[in-house]
Amino acid sequence: MSNYLVLLVILPLLGAFLMQPLSQLLGSKQAGRKILQNFGRAVIAVTLTITYIVATEGEGVLQLPLSLLMGGFVVPVGINLYLDQFSLLWLVAIQVSLLILWPASRDIRQHLLLLVVAASSMGMALSGDLFNIYVFYELLAVATFGLVAQAPHPAAAVVSFRYLLLSAFGSVLALAGIAIIYSQSGSLNLAHLSAFVVNGETQFPLAAFLLLLVGFGVKAELFGVNGWVPEVYGVVSSRMSALLAGVISKIAVVVIVRIMLLLFPYPEASQALLVLGILGMVGGEWVAWHTAQRGGKLSTTLAYSSIGQLGMIFVAFSFSLTLGLFVGVALALHHLIVKSGLFMLSSAQLNRWQLGLFVLFGLSLIGVPPLPGFWIKLAMLQDLWATGGGLEQLAIALFLLATVVEASYLSKIISTQMVSPQFKSAKLGGNSEERRNLNLAWLYGILLFGAIFFINPLAETLHGIAVQTEDGELLRSVVLENSIDPLAGGEQ
Amino acid sequence: MLGIILYSGAVALIVIGIAGLVRSTHLFRAVLALVIAESGANLLLMLAGFRLGGAVPIATEGSFPLAMVDPVPQAMVLTAIVIGVGIQALAIALLVRVKQRYGTLERSKVTAAMELELNK
Repeated sequence: MSNYLVLLVILPLLGAFLMQPLSQLLGSKQAGRKILQNFGRAVIAVTLTITYIVATEGEGVLQLPLSLLMGGFVVPVGINLYLDQFSLLWLVAIQVSLLILWPASRDIRQHLLLLVVAASSMGMALSGDLFNIYVFYELLAVATFGLVAQAPHPAAAVVSFRYLLLSAFGSVLALAGIAIIYSQSGSLNLAHLSAFVVNGETQFPLAAFLLLLVGFGVKAELFGVNGWVPEVYGVVSSRMSALLAGVISKIAVVVIVRIMLLLFPYPEASQALLVLGILGMVGGEWVAWHTAQRGGKLSTTLAYSSIGQLGMIFVAFSFSLTLGLFVGVALALHHLIVKSGLFMLSSAQLNRWQLGLFVLFGLSLIGVPPLPGFWIKLAMLQDLWATGGGLEQLAIALFLLATVVEASYLSKIISTQMVSPQFKSAKLGGNSEERRNLNLAWLYGILLFGAIFFINPLAETLHGIAVQTEDGELLRSVVLENSIDPLAGGEQ
Repeated sequence: MLGIILYSGAVALIVIGIAGLVRSTHLFRAVLALVIAESGANLLLMLAGFRLGGAVPIATEGSFPLAMVDPVPQAMVLTAIVIGVGIQALAIALLVRVKQRYGTLERSKVTAAMELELNK
């Protein structure tokens, strides 16, 4: 069954390749255009089914983790895909988000690029070696440049170009980090490299981690390399913003967390993540507040707010213990639902019901009980308090300050919306695309509200994911089984 | 000694490229700076598998060189070069559209015009 893992990458790529010839064949007929419009969604539905079959081996119960060494090549030479509960969670998040946010437009170029996004982001979540992570990262970057460039906004080309420059700068740094690791170890397989680390054979320099962190951090809206965020979210559609902020940024976070856990289990690496997380959290929330105060665009405020939220997620992940991983994953999932819902609401003037939904998202973001955001923030504060260092105490203070700032700018946005003429009516406003977005916001609202009633089972599931993610020994035993012995350096 | 010179050269290319990216006032020069930085990263990766005096990593019947350069980074650099060229081509295609829209590639003028359009 593990052989089917490769289909999760290949099928969307094949689908993207077939889009153009299919449009030549079918594009002239009404029925053909309908098929083309739903082709991408159908491919994602197939890959979602394959994900279920692979993860459960067709038996309905998770059979994870599992590893695929492609072509029968042994570690460290071949391509390795690795699926555990952590990567499964993000595979499902990517595919479900794409199914929900798939654009209604007839422009097949957008559908084609989204299939490339699906293939590359799933490849990043599954890759067990650094170089393939880099290749999929570049593929993801190119697809997102295209999505930004074709947005119907006069500044789309220049925004896409600036995003490209920053992203390419990140790629150069990531490649340099990979070169340092390879020159020290002669391997790029994460399980193999982590065996070197736990056996004390090598300690990769912090510089390599910083290069990889900043390199992959461009997509994760990391402090210092997140200048593209407000510009890009200002030109793309609400659905694309929801996809970029909700899912794609998390895939980069997943990669960074995995690299840190396996290759850099040192306090210095965690502290670097903590410091950059704090700076992102404070900087993002402060600029979001400033933008809301001077009456800036809602999409711009949400973009800076997203930077602040990603900063909080980095702070949580910097405690690479089970509780830190649990809180980080919970925060990331919460951000995915809330920010996607808020971006959907940002596309139109809101009536009173939709503003009520906005308030629900806002309250959960601030952390008001009994909404899911409250329990996650409470767990995060307990985590920070239990760790107990000076930097952690500073993080607690700034975390609480950021929450107050969040409450301030969200209430400002709500009060601005309350004076709009649309607010006084209960009718749906906007065009058909905006109405569809508002309906999707309700879907995210139901998901968030429903989570209140399943807090305990959700917490247990996320805790199980955190335990498995932290278990490097499990990863090494699964990947290096039937492969070379990293200690002996020869075949078993 | 040769190793230090080669590694210093690779790092210098990356630094020059990044400095160019940050400092250049013309967007096309920023793309050229990116090319330089990518070359530095590729050279660094090549050096990770370089063995002084190593032979080409081709094993033929009856002869198996004792010291070979590592072929894996060469394969990776080949991939990185292809990706780099693709991104540079895309960057230049975007620059053509920027030039058509704003009539200039001066960074400050383009940025000012972009900010105006974003704040509309």
